[in-house]
Amino acid sequence: MIGGAELWLLLAWGTIVAVDLVSMPQVLLARPLVAAAVAGAIAGDVGAGLAVGLLLELFALDVLPVGASRYPDYGPGTVGAVLVVAHQPSPLVWMGAAAGLALVVALSGAASMQWLRHRIARDVQAHADQLGAGDGAAIRMLHLTSIGRDAVRGLALTVVALLLALLLRETGPLDDLTGTLLSVVAGGAGLAAVVRGAVRNAGRGARFRWLAAGAGAGVLLSVFL
Amino acid sequence: MPILLCRIDDRLIHGQVVIGWGRPLGLQRIVLVDDIVAANDWEQDLYRVAVPEEIELIFATVRGASDRLAEWAGDPKRTAILTGEVHTMGQLVAADTSNLRQINLGGLHQRPGRTERLPWVYLSDEELAELRVMAQSGREISAQDVPTTAAVSLEALA
Amino acid sequence: MKATRSAWWRLFSLQGSWNYDRMVGVGMGFAAKPLLEDLRRESPERHAEAVARSAEFFNSHPYLAGLALGAVTRAEYDQVPGDQILRLRNALCSPLGALGDQLFWAGLLPAAIGAALAAVALGAGWPVVLLAVVLFTVVRCYVSDWALRRGLETGMGVGRAIKDSRLRRAITLAGIGASLLVGVAIPLVATRLAVGLATPHIALMLLVAVAGLVLGKLAGTRYSSPRFALAALAVVLLARWIAT
Repeated sequence: MIGGAELWLLLAWGTIVAVDLVSMPQVLLARPLVAAAVAGAIAGDVGAGLAVGLLLELFALDVLPVGASRYPDYGPGTVGAVLVVAHQPSPLVWMGAAAGLALVVALSGAASMQWLRHRIARDVQAHADQLGAGDGAAIRMLHLTSIGRDAVRGLALTVVALLLALLLRETGPLDDLTGTLLSVVAGGAGLAAVVRGAVRNAGRGARFRWLAAGAGAGVLLSVFL
Repeated sequence: MPILLCRIDDRLIHGQVVIGWGRPLGLQRIVLVDDIVAANDWEQDLYRVAVPEEIELIFATVRGASDRLAEWAGDPKRTAILTGEVHTMGQLVAADTSNLRQINLGGLHQRPGRTERLPWVYLSDEELAELRVMAQSGREISAQDVPTTAAVSLEALA
Repeated sequence: MKATRSAWWRLFSLQGSWNYDRMVGVGMGFAAKPLLEDLRRESPERHAEAVARSAEFFNSHPYLAGLALGAVTRAEYDQVPGDQILRLRNALCSPLGALGDQLFWAGLLPAAIGAALAAVALGAGWPVVLLAVVLFTVVRCYVSDWALRRGLETGMGVGRAIKDSRLRRAITLAGIGASLLVGVAIPLVATRLAVGLATPHIALMLLVAVAGLVLGKLAGTRYSSPRFALAALAVVLLARWIAT
């Protein structure tokens, strides 16, 4: 079962994946599939982790972090979603509700990042004179403080995600049928997201044909395996 | 093929252009209109390498681009026009009758005299006035960094 | 050599102070610090100027930023005039961003994740996820190491070095890999999601997927996948609340 130690570890992990998305070290930890697999291992239910990761990754593949454009922060919400589903006797009843939690946290995460980027801009402007004078210590201080701020942001998001998850575990999704329907609908919405993203990101030329070829191969694999 | 994207972005060619817009629109040609870049070989080399193999990249001066707008709009290549300054686009629009219908503000960053309209769109009063002139000549103007985000109209920026 | 290694490590946190004023400029300054130390011994004034320039506005793809960092550092040691250095630095932002976005964010990342998704959908366990992360990171480290060293070697000639590199070819291949592997993953994941569901539930799932795609076409940018999912979940809750 999930005890205090596991919750603290999940809190640390959620913070790490939030910081990984933009600040450092940017090694895919923030991807739902990765964040969820590790969260599942921490919670002692890797299967639940992989299932949650599989579903949420469909949404994350929709919008690529291109340029400076804004994108959801799926990491902390994913960790919360794994906490919802871990060790449930029938995970299918909980997947949809967990996905809902993750999406809400992911959208708040995007908003929190906007806020952070404005906040750091104010810090930078306040130290413009020192930067202009080539003050290395000011650069170092600004940079490290900013990473610290991002960590606080990630920690706060994870706290919210984990509290919502504990609450959800208590109340549950009304009844089993409602829970199952939520999971079914979340799966459908996830498939729409990944198809939309794949088509958009492939464009019109050769990549689109490779996408179609891949999908064909995937269908064959599904049928024969 | 009508010109599919007409964008003002001080970063000129970057990820939002070649992936964000380039892929869904299936761009085959990007015309970079900038008098300075048009006269600078090493900068052209840099921009050329940033564009994927399937997209043709043309560097043009404002004059050169004005003369060829109708030609680009008339042939089958899926084309985007790109400028780094509001004024450059204003000159193109002034020389154009109907090829540039929608103007996209893609990114104009902080500079003395400009004020923040969106986190990634800063405009001076002169630039805003110039955009209004373009709008009055029947062009639809909005700010939108990538196709997946909502467009913000010129009125909302003022 | 030690300074280069140190700067390479610092580049892992390049985006740590991402902001709307200088974007990753301060992060570049942080990474440049060890590289500029020797300049302090040559001329303290020149060093201060170089440090100030190192933290000016900058933005590019984080994994390729080493090309700019290296080139600018080399130019500082070569005593290139400051305005030319800044001009080079600014000119590198967009091309490096475009290259990195195509190679990593729209190429190797979806390729790695797509492959891992497909494997997990087929029943593979967590080691395959770890493998995807490790492979991606190995390539990233190789590229970022190459970038920093190439930048340091070429200085003001970095544009030529980028042009002569294999980046463009790699981008084409990465784009193909991403499309192919995400394509393979989609039907496999769909099949996996349907495991254990009754036929009417499978039909409902497909219906929601199609509805999402149609709505996405119709609603333009007002549509976003998370919003559609949340709305669909709300509809289920509402319907069940009314029914019970």
